Amino acid sequence: MDRRQFLRKGFLFSALGSLYASTIGKIPLFASRSNSLQAGNYDLVAVRGGEPVDLYRRAMDEMGGMGLYVKPGQTVVIKPNSSWDTPPERAANTNPDLVEAIVRDCVEAGASRVLAFDNTCDNWERSYDNSGVAEAVRRGGGQMLHAHLERYYTDVNISGAKRLTSAKVFDRLINSDVFINVPVLKHHGSTTVTIAMKNLMGVVWDRGYWHRNDLHQCIADFCLYRKPDLNIIDAYLVMTQNGPRGTSEADLTRMRSIIVSSDIVAADAAGALMLGHQPADIGHIRIASEMNLGRMNLDNLNIRRVAL
Amino acid sequence: MKLSNLRRIRIAVSLFLFLSMLFLFLATGRGILDPVANVLLHLQLLPSLLSFFALFFSITTLGFVLIILLTLVFGRVYCSSICPLGTFQDIMIAFSRLFKSRKNRRFNYTSNRKRLLRYGVLAATLIFWISGSLFLINLLDPYSNFGKISVSLFKPAYIWITNSAAFLLEGLDIFLISPRSMHTLPFDVILVSGIVFLVISIMAVWRGRLFCNTLCPAGSILGLLSLKPLYRIVFNEKECTFCRKCEWVCKAECLNSRTHEVDYSRCINCFNCFSACPNEGLQYKPVFALNKTEVKQPLEGKASPDEKRQFMLTLVTGMLSIPLISKLARSRPVHTDQPGMVPIENQKVVTPPGSLSHDHFTSNCIACYLCVSACPTKVIVPSFFDYGLAGFMQPKLDYHKNFCNFDCVRCTEVCPTGAITKQSEEEKKLIKIGDVRFLAESCIVTVNRTDCGACSEHCPTKAVQMVPYEDGLFIPEVYPEICVGCGACEYACPTTPFKAIYVTGLPVHQEAVPIEDADGPREDDADDFPF
Repeated sequence: MDRRQFLRKGFLFSALGSLYASTIGKIPLFASRSNSLQAGNYDLVAVRGGEPVDLYRRAMDEMGGMGLYVKPGQTVVIKPNSSWDTPPERAANTNPDLVEAIVRDCVEAGASRVLAFDNTCDNWERSYDNSGVAEAVRRGGGQMLHAHLERYYTDVNISGAKRLTSAKVFDRLINSDVFINVPVLKHHGSTTVTIAMKNLMGVVWDRGYWHRNDLHQCIADFCLYRKPDLNIIDAYLVMTQNGPRGTSEADLTRMRSIIVSSDIVAADAAGALMLGHQPADIGHIRIASEMNLGRMNLDNLNIRRVAL
Repeated sequence: MKLSNLRRIRIAVSLFLFLSMLFLFLATGRGILDPVANVLLHLQLLPSLLSFFALFFSITTLGFVLIILLTLVFGRVYCSSICPLGTFQDIMIAFSRLFKSRKNRRFNYTSNRKRLLRYGVLAATLIFWISGSLFLINLLDPYSNFGKISVSLFKPAYIWITNSAAFLLEGLDIFLISPRSMHTLPFDVILVSGIVFLVISIMAVWRGRLFCNTLCPAGSILGLLSLKPLYRIVFNEKECTFCRKCEWVCKAECLNSRTHEVDYSRCINCFNCFSACPNEGLQYKPVFALNKTEVKQPLEGKASPDEKRQFMLTLVTGMLSIPLISKLARSRPVHTDQPGMVPIENQKVVTPPGSLSHDHFTSNCIACYLCVSACPTKVIVPSFFDYGLAGFMQPKLDYHKNFCNFDCVRCTEVCPTGAITKQSEEEKKLIKIGDVRFLAESCIVTVNRTDCGACSEHCPTKAVQMVPYEDGLFIPEVYPEICVGCGACEYACPTTPFKAIYVTGLPVHQEAVPIEDADGPREDDADDFPF
């Protein structure tokens, strides 16, 4: 395709696209870019009573399989939590076995590339290594990306945001087809809980801005830019106090659970309830719900609960 | 073995050791030559001496004994082969020769041995040291200067090159090389390193190993020890044709080809003379195998007892001034002032974990910046006068740059002088290097009335906890007894321009109260989902 052809086609497609958007409305054009709830069998799947990988396999089966979210040839970006220089048994980071299983699933679903990254809080190299996440991504057949330099981030505008009107977002996320969010369920000193929405603080360069400008509002605002296509919450070992870093294994409770949902607000609401909090009491969950970013009231949702 | 081979061996050995040292400073912990460099670290004269005094009779501190023995037997091979700054000078000399005419390349014997300067500087250095200030050692020691130059000048170039390669490969989806953040040191430190770099280079290009035989304290100490080495370079009267070729290549300017005298105190055993000699005019022999007539030293050199006497005299007169210098060296108080919207007053400087106390640190650190280079978070930064004259240019922890990683003991592993003593991870987690202070009146939560908690989030011991405040908000509360002073709170605090939470250094490190580590994870007693 030469340049003229490219321009012509590009123009044609964008014209068609805007026509489509203005007439049919907000129904997503491509399944991969969507959050569409009809993609899976359920709005939310929660599985308990097993080991991390078994929990995940069952939950994904109930959701309809990874093939619903990842199409052959697509680029998948996974955002685990690997922010802390702590070993897997401290559960400050996402369980590496879970990460490995997800990466492998994406590869098997035909993804052309499976990439993972985290803009860590502790030293990036030590966090990547000691969390076991980088090695897990490699074992699963994916690539853990460097994310510790500002050059990997690009400024984006977030329209409709109240406070976070722009942010420097990780390049490879911007250019990805599928975005899978894999947080670990934890207590958090200032935001009370840290689950799926809070995990997205690790995809931007400047977290300090969020802290300075109404943290809860910024966390909700970011979902206006891009919501993950899938949220997989690791609730196997759950930090119920001293979060988000924890000081010892005594901070943990073995809940042996997993929550999977395409609705990031519903996923966070379920997680908050597991930690004993009403979703409406958590600032960013309440705000996100008010902004119609998802549903925090789980009563009307089609939820599949499984005990292994 | 042919004596002319000695020079080739010296060049090979010195280049190999130089490169291992260089890569130790450029890519600490990643270099393939690191095992070599780690041995070499113990064979640096002044660091080894310092660590002997810092750590007492540990076997790893005895490198200097080996150097002394080596010098007594063979002369100053340390200066020609082991000292990285020595090889650096040789490289500069070799480089400058490319631009010099044949005649200008020549060195000439000089009878002016600059003894007053040489031993005066050595005496002053020792006096400063004894009085508790490493000021002159940190300014003059060759190992320290090599480190300073490597970390502040060569390392940025090294990072730039490796990063360019890394970014190029990343563009092709190859992630072999990890790019590094550009590691630039404070401007004043770069300036001093730059000046040192220039002065030593110019001296080398101009007069060979002039630095080693005038200003270098290690060179002067070894010079005294090599006044009468066991193995000596002597002229073979029968073979020498007085062609002067040996003298022209003598970097130490210590070989008199006319009178056949060799000043062993200045000779650094580069063995250039052997290669230059077209005949067998020079020999390398143990002193007992020589005839009386063969032993020749410069006229002044014969008065070696005189030399010692002069040295002792300078030393003793200097000693008398210790109280004065001592006072001068300590005159500047140890603290860094930070202005602020809510001014942070009397924030004391923080020394690396394992450095025991400000006193221990400042009186043992040679400012080689190996810890600065090795630190994974780059929180260790050279200071300038933060410790006063006593600790000129020694490193400190700068929590505006980063914070000290809780589980990391890298700096304690690399320090060659014992200024930072070796610590296990478990020991280090209880070392309290500073104390947390919270300024509620400049905190986001009280001023903006929104949640923040970045400090508590990063705190590894939960010495900063978020407690309920007004309107359902949470505000930091500090528990200094479990604070280790890592600075994570100060670094993470997002207030600008000044921080609302900070760490003030402890002049004597303490032990933090250990975190209660109960039986591990609890079992969940719920039997269904709460939704």
